[in-house]
Amino acid sequence: MARRAHPAAGFRRVLLAELRQIGARPGLMFMLAPFPLLLFVLLAAVFQLGLPRNLPIAIIDQDRSTLSRQMVRIVDATPEVAVAFEEATLSEGRQRLLSGEAYAVVLIPPRTERDVLAGRRPEVVLFYNNQYMTPGSLVARSVGGALGTVAAGISVEARVARGADVESATQAVNPVPIRQSALFNPSLEYVQFLLAAVMPTVLQIFIGASAALSFSRDRQGIAGLGKSLRLGGTLVRTAVGKLAPYTLAYLLVLWGADALLFGPMGARFGGSLPFHLAYGVVFVLASQMLGAAAALVARDTVSALAAVGVITGPAFGFTGLTFPRLSMNGFSDVWADLLPVTHYLELRTDNILRGAPLDISVPAFLWLAALALVYGGVTLLLLWRHGRPSQVTATEAGQ
Amino acid sequence: MIAAVFREIVAALLAIWTDKGARSTMLGATLFFSVFFPQPYLNEVVRDMPLAIVDQDGSTLSRELIRRIDAADAVAVARYAPDMSSARLLFLKREVHGIVIVPPQFERDLLAGRAAPIAAFSDGGYFLLNSVMSSALSNAARSLGAEVQVGRLTASGVDMAQALAVVEPLRVTTVPLFNPTGGYASFVLPAVFVLILQQTLLMGIGNLKAGRRSAGGLSTFADALVYVGLYSLWAGVVLVLLPWVYRLPRIGDVAVMYAVVVPFLAAVTAMGIAVARLIPTKEGVIFFLVVLGMPLFFLSGVSWPAEAMPWLLHALAFAIPSTTAVPALVRVNQMGADLQSVEATILTQLALCLAYTTLAVTVDWVKRKPSA
Repeated sequence: MARRAHPAAGFRRVLLAELRQIGARPGLMFMLAPFPLLLFVLLAAVFQLGLPRNLPIAIIDQDRSTLSRQMVRIVDATPEVAVAFEEATLSEGRQRLLSGEAYAVVLIPPRTERDVLAGRRPEVVLFYNNQYMTPGSLVARSVGGALGTVAAGISVEARVARGADVESATQAVNPVPIRQSALFNPSLEYVQFLLAAVMPTVLQIFIGASAALSFSRDRQGIAGLGKSLRLGGTLVRTAVGKLAPYTLAYLLVLWGADALLFGPMGARFGGSLPFHLAYGVVFVLASQMLGAAAALVARDTVSALAAVGVITGPAFGFTGLTFPRLSMNGFSDVWADLLPVTHYLELRTDNILRGAPLDISVPAFLWLAALALVYGGVTLLLLWRHGRPSQVTATEAGQ
Repeated sequence: MIAAVFREIVAALLAIWTDKGARSTMLGATLFFSVFFPQPYLNEVVRDMPLAIVDQDGSTLSRELIRRIDAADAVAVARYAPDMSSARLLFLKREVHGIVIVPPQFERDLLAGRAAPIAAFSDGGYFLLNSVMSSALSNAARSLGAEVQVGRLTASGVDMAQALAVVEPLRVTTVPLFNPTGGYASFVLPAVFVLILQQTLLMGIGNLKAGRRSAGGLSTFADALVYVGLYSLWAGVVLVLLPWVYRLPRIGDVAVMYAVVVPFLAAVTAMGIAVARLIPTKEGVIFFLVVLGMPLFFLSGVSWPAEAMPWLLHALAFAIPSTTAVPALVRVNQMGADLQSVEATILTQLALCLAYTTLAVTVDWVKRKPSA
């Protein structure tokens, strides 16, 4: 009767028991907030400089003419690359690539200037390391652009020599210019892009693992889950009471990281703040339910953690932030939909980066909520089964 | 002596087999992750990324430009939109991932020798889609522009060779090396595989050793031999066999690969034993390693250049074997680097092995002292 009169009492008892457990474990306390924030700072430091600058390349100038020296100068002047090595032969240039010292080699063959003047269209070759795709393609783009500028200059001169005026010659060099702008994230900031995506993915591991630890600790304990269930009174109150401290801690970490990102680090926030907070809450809940369900399926704590690790560890590849979902195989596409972080990142992109109207985000939000409900349902079901073994045996004995 | 070592080796092998956690990480997880992790990337490249076109000119040349854009493998013209706002809506709904606007009078300007700009809106939130679109567009625009220009010049009586020399006096040829198709799996997996070796080996050692007393120098040495031996086999599977199965480019010399792999595994083993003595619980070790996987990948400099990291962070990261081993093994396996190009890494790994061994021995000594 007393329990019914104070429906919050069961919740409070479980909550206090859980807080005592956390308090007794410094490792767990460290994992709740300091460790994820530390990782955030580490990742922020990795991407701190935004776009890479002065990536080293090698130049093989076999022409040694005014034109070739001009090319070297213009290439070196682009902010993304720096001419770090001047080599005599292609094999020396190749060695720079193999040792990882240079990302690209530019070969200016002998007689380049003479051939240009004679209208023989000589060839300058840019070899770049596409195994290191991010820096490689960045270097290729800027060096290619710089060499293109040199070629355009020559083309303008040739046209002027043929009697064109400078204005029309300049236009003729690039007849179909592309005014390219990114619709969102126009500065193509890596901080916005990677850090904002990596942090929730790492947090999903923490959130899932903490929920898994909480439930499997109870299952391993002498009293078992039964004790927590008796404390809570009902399944829902027990689950909520156990998970509440973690929900709160990780929401603070999630929002704390966002505060750093949009505050001191200067990322732009272009969406609705209440909505951002709302899907943050659902994301944390869904990840917790995923971890709790895994813990109740697994036999012991180590397998529970391993299961969470297997599900959440490789999640980043599946979110489609690096390699897009539209190009994934069927399995990956389905798997991606089962991970809370996929939908969370989509909602983030829609809301913060794109400032999309809310109705665009409804499907992703429903997905995220559905995941929370399904994983939560599985958790409650398993909790109910594991929590009352005595009752089952009692009925069996009665039959 | 040799018999004793042999007995310890058998004991170490049995320990891996009988400890469920160690068996599932050192035998199961290594294989599982190497099959599971590659899944999203296996299609290698983006094909037919849907674009929306707003053709405000509706001319022969605008249609020709659109045809050339559509001809690129990476993109496909999926929708024609009447105006920017409806194209934008398609974009927000993720039905298209880029928008191209061909303004009115595109053809007239182009034929008159004036610049005829087009506008392109790409997806700044997704880097790969962004770069795929920009290269497809610039190829189409450049080829059409050059053709029109050459046509104009030859029409005014210049011969073909001269016209070409005016339009393109210097040819710039770009040659992507080592991963010629720019495949994403080819880029990311060789690095990830090395990291999987390191992480599962560390987890396995954590499972076996966390919170346990050292069983003596000889026994620990035999354990280390077994771990390095077992993972040398795994290195063959993960770095040679799997790339073949997934058809990733691999041109390296296997002997050079092992010249890096063995010191690397020795360093990881020493680190694993040291960490297991520092972190007392299995759960702690495993959790720590799962969480650290992604940051370690970024620190290796394969996806994000080391030059763009703060030097202090990069220097600290040298303490983790994967930081130098990942790029070195990628250079050997995928780029065909020789022994001389990876000498520094081999020495780094040996130094790490020594340092972590010293740490492990010290931790054990400190822990024993109070009880002795």
